[in-house]
Amino acid sequence: MKKRNLVWILLLAVLFLSSPLFAQAKSEAKPEGPIKIVYWRSLTGVAGESQDEVVRRFNASRNDIIVEAEFQGAYAEILQKMTAAVAAGDMPDVVLLDSPHMPIFAKNGVLVDLGQYVKDEPKGFIDDYIPGLLADGYYHGTLYALPAMRSTPLLYVNGDMLAAAGLPRRAPETWDELREWGKKLTKINAKGELEQSAIGLTTGLTTAHWYFQGAVYAFGGLVSDEDFGIHLTDAPALELAQLWQDMVFKDRSAIPSNSHDDFFNKKVAMVFGSTGSMGNVYSRADFQVIPAFLPGQKQNLVPVGGAVIAMPKTGDTWKQWAAWEFLKYFTGTESQAYLARLTGYMPNSYSASKDPELVAYYDANPQWKVAIDQLNYVRPQASVISLPKGTAILQQMVEKLIIANRDVKTVMEETTADLKKEYNDNY
Amino acid sequence: MARIVFRKKTPSWIIGRTLTHLVLIIFTLAVGLPFFWMITTALKSPAEVATFPPIWWPKTIKWDNFSKAWATAPFGRFYINSFVTAITGVLLEVSIAALSAYAFACIRFKYRDFFFLVMLAALMIPSQIALIPNYVILSKLKWINTYKGIVIPYVSSVFGTFLLRQYFLSVPSSLYEAAEIDGLSHFKTLIYIALPLAKPVLGTLVLYIFIGKWNNYLWPLIVTTKQRMRTLPVGLAMVRDAEYAIGPEHLMAAAIFVLVPVLIVYFFSQRKLIEAIAAGAVKG
Amino acid sequence: MTKRAKRDALTFALFTFPNFLLLTVFVFWPIFYSLFLSFFKWDMIAPKKRFIGLENYRVMFTDPVFWLVTKNTLILSVWVVVLKLVISLSLALVMNRDLKGRSFYQAIIFSPTFTTSVAVAMVWRWILEPDYGLLRVFMRPFGIAPINWIESTTHSLPAVIIVLIWVGIGYDMVIFLAGLKNIPPELYDAGLVDGVNPLQEFIHITFPLLSPTTFFLTITGFISALKSFDIISILTGGGPLNSSNVLVHFLYENAFRWFKTGYASALALLLFVVIMAITLIQNRLSKRWVHY
Repeated sequence: MKKRNLVWILLLAVLFLSSPLFAQAKSEAKPEGPIKIVYWRSLTGVAGESQDEVVRRFNASRNDIIVEAEFQGAYAEILQKMTAAVAAGDMPDVVLLDSPHMPIFAKNGVLVDLGQYVKDEPKGFIDDYIPGLLADGYYHGTLYALPAMRSTPLLYVNGDMLAAAGLPRRAPETWDELREWGKKLTKINAKGELEQSAIGLTTGLTTAHWYFQGAVYAFGGLVSDEDFGIHLTDAPALELAQLWQDMVFKDRSAIPSNSHDDFFNKKVAMVFGSTGSMGNVYSRADFQVIPAFLPGQKQNLVPVGGAVIAMPKTGDTWKQWAAWEFLKYFTGTESQAYLARLTGYMPNSYSASKDPELVAYYDANPQWKVAIDQLNYVRPQASVISLPKGTAILQQMVEKLIIANRDVKTVMEETTADLKKEYNDNY
Repeated sequence: MARIVFRKKTPSWIIGRTLTHLVLIIFTLAVGLPFFWMITTALKSPAEVATFPPIWWPKTIKWDNFSKAWATAPFGRFYINSFVTAITGVLLEVSIAALSAYAFACIRFKYRDFFFLVMLAALMIPSQIALIPNYVILSKLKWINTYKGIVIPYVSSVFGTFLLRQYFLSVPSSLYEAAEIDGLSHFKTLIYIALPLAKPVLGTLVLYIFIGKWNNYLWPLIVTTKQRMRTLPVGLAMVRDAEYAIGPEHLMAAAIFVLVPVLIVYFFSQRKLIEAIAAGAVKG
Repeated sequence: MTKRAKRDALTFALFTFPNFLLLTVFVFWPIFYSLFLSFFKWDMIAPKKRFIGLENYRVMFTDPVFWLVTKNTLILSVWVVVLKLVISLSLALVMNRDLKGRSFYQAIIFSPTFTTSVAVAMVWRWILEPDYGLLRVFMRPFGIAPINWIESTTHSLPAVIIVLIWVGIGYDMVIFLAGLKNIPPELYDAGLVDGVNPLQEFIHITFPLLSPTTFFLTITGFISALKSFDIISILTGGGPLNSSNVLVHFLYENAFRWFKTGYASALALLLFVVIMAITLIQNRLSKRWVHY
């Protein structure tokens, strides 16, 4: 080999080998082109499209950050994918998480502590968020997530069916009233087949637990407390469980329901749904829809649901900064007012709920106001929901009660034991 | 050859034949009706869907059920992913099978029979044992959400190797020895001498493997977490979870998207496919 | 070794290397890794796994859900195999003659074999819908009230069984037809001469000569049924209350939904051992089978 070639080769080798040093130095200064970050989002229909619109607006408003939103399926999908992504070292920069899933990742050190960013924000930044909605962004006192698309459980009522049964066109206010009305709404034909019932009780894998929580809280009870003490064998939970079971098997005024089809097919007069599905419900129903609080009993109190938005630790300082900027924008007044107006998810801050356009919209469309009003009666979800198998155990409990018709006390004892075991498996 | 027995066309024979046809028609309907039902439901409007007794054919055909169903998820992307993974998978698997089959049939090697037994042993192993370990391996390799992650774990070939080997062995070894004397490399022998022997079954093998990969559900479900990497079966399953915005008519339309390619392939090749499967069973 | 032998050995290695590499990494190695994982508690995220010895197995054998799932798997497999065989054999016997439109019937009946199970399960979910599904049309003339197949703890497993049979009859029928064709016609002619009726013909000639085919279909059908996942996942999701949950679906739930990697590996290993045992028994028995 000629000596000259050797010199070139050596020079190239030196340049090649030392490039990491250059890269290192570069990452301290702000990168020149726009920083690209990836946002994993969930939800379909209007809730999905409006998120994409927020992303579009963010990208249009500045040229130093570009957000790429990727739809990842339902919340359960995102949980799976995040787990896989953590294992593969391939995490997004921002992720929308179902609120009970956040602790799973916070516990394993996957999420960025947002406190370091919050302290550099102007005073009152964090206080603007509605406390009931901000509460479950914390894990062991550290803030890991901000409220993003929050929802509360609602009762959707078919006003026409109620009127046809001689009932007032409004939702029942308590479970007792619902049961009373149920007698008028239940129709059994000559063959003994159930043609129409009052309400469909949700048995879906990821949703059953939520509405059950809402019902237990109405009775003044709890599913679990913050220290993972289980309260399913306390009087309120037992009472509620017995009521559901009696409505299904004695009164035949309730049926287990896995989707909203029964409501749209007018098989049931009422169904549970989230504030987030309001848009979809209205678009598919060909009758008068009345959205309402979940029935109370001793009180009105519902679990908050929906999603929080968080930042996985990707290790890239500038990408994390970009992610924080996006987080602020997404949970900021303008975006939240827009999202709330379009989807029925709740505005997550005082400023957002006072946004003039939003206020005007609620005045013109009073049914959407239900979401806002219920903000006065919220609490974080039960702690056991954050366990991997938590929601599945609760869903099975609901199935045992209203499909298998098993003895209420035994079912609650079994569920308590299962939840305790799951807790011990994880902590 | 089917049994050919000469019988007179007596009345009892005619009754027998009629009953035979009746039974067959009943079962053919039993198998075919679900497909028909899927199609009519996909063409109905929501009101027509939720009726009993059912409406057998909609008054007005709602073609926009298809566009609505298409819009619920990135089906275009799912199609591309399915095609890419199925086609690369088939090409790889058949190539690997051909190479292995040739080695076992035509190359003299002291430990050949031992390795053949090892390969046969692999045939007995159920794939489910490998789900978690393969997932862990892939995540270490950073192959989650990649085409290679979907394809590679499933392109080893035992059945294909076995099948091709049968065909390669159908000529006396003197033919291969003659090729060797002529100075042909093993690779050339494979391409020009051995493979043509398998021509009758090659096309069917390719189709069979292709359909299997197209329909694969569990593994792509595990290995893809991004919507844009999903294959059709997985994407379809996700559509079912779409929040309450779609009805049965859209779900059936989506099912049609997924079934149409496979049914088309099937109807053009079914005679050959059925022949091949029947023949394979006889050889045992 | 001669030069040629060396070249041959090298070519052999080269030609078979891809296959063996893939088999080793993705088929053989997983057995050992699953065994290894089954002794640990691990959630797939944490960097450290926790060794717990035989605890996963102890939990498995005392878990009522595991036993329910195993029971379901066995019930499902037996029913599917038996009914599939009976129906497909009957169809094959009926079709095994010079029949007009035979290839048409065959083409339709065989068509579910290659369909995508996810789509099929979705269609059947709709067929089984209690009020508006197609099945109700056929139940009404018999005065049967609407049945909520999917949401019933008693009817969800039968629903799965029905769908699996629907999917599988075509394949078994084709195999039986091939087996029937292989029976030498002279045997039937001998029977005719002796004056046997169709039933005797079936019992003494057809069925015995079909037994290798029947045996083959029973074993492969049974093993395949033990591994069922796709249809169950979409049709019932294993519910309600695990009434239609089967081993592979239970494995999937534990590994990829609840992150109980160790426990799921123990399940996988159990399934593996059972299937290997059946396969080995099949090999032994079919070697001993007498053909003439």
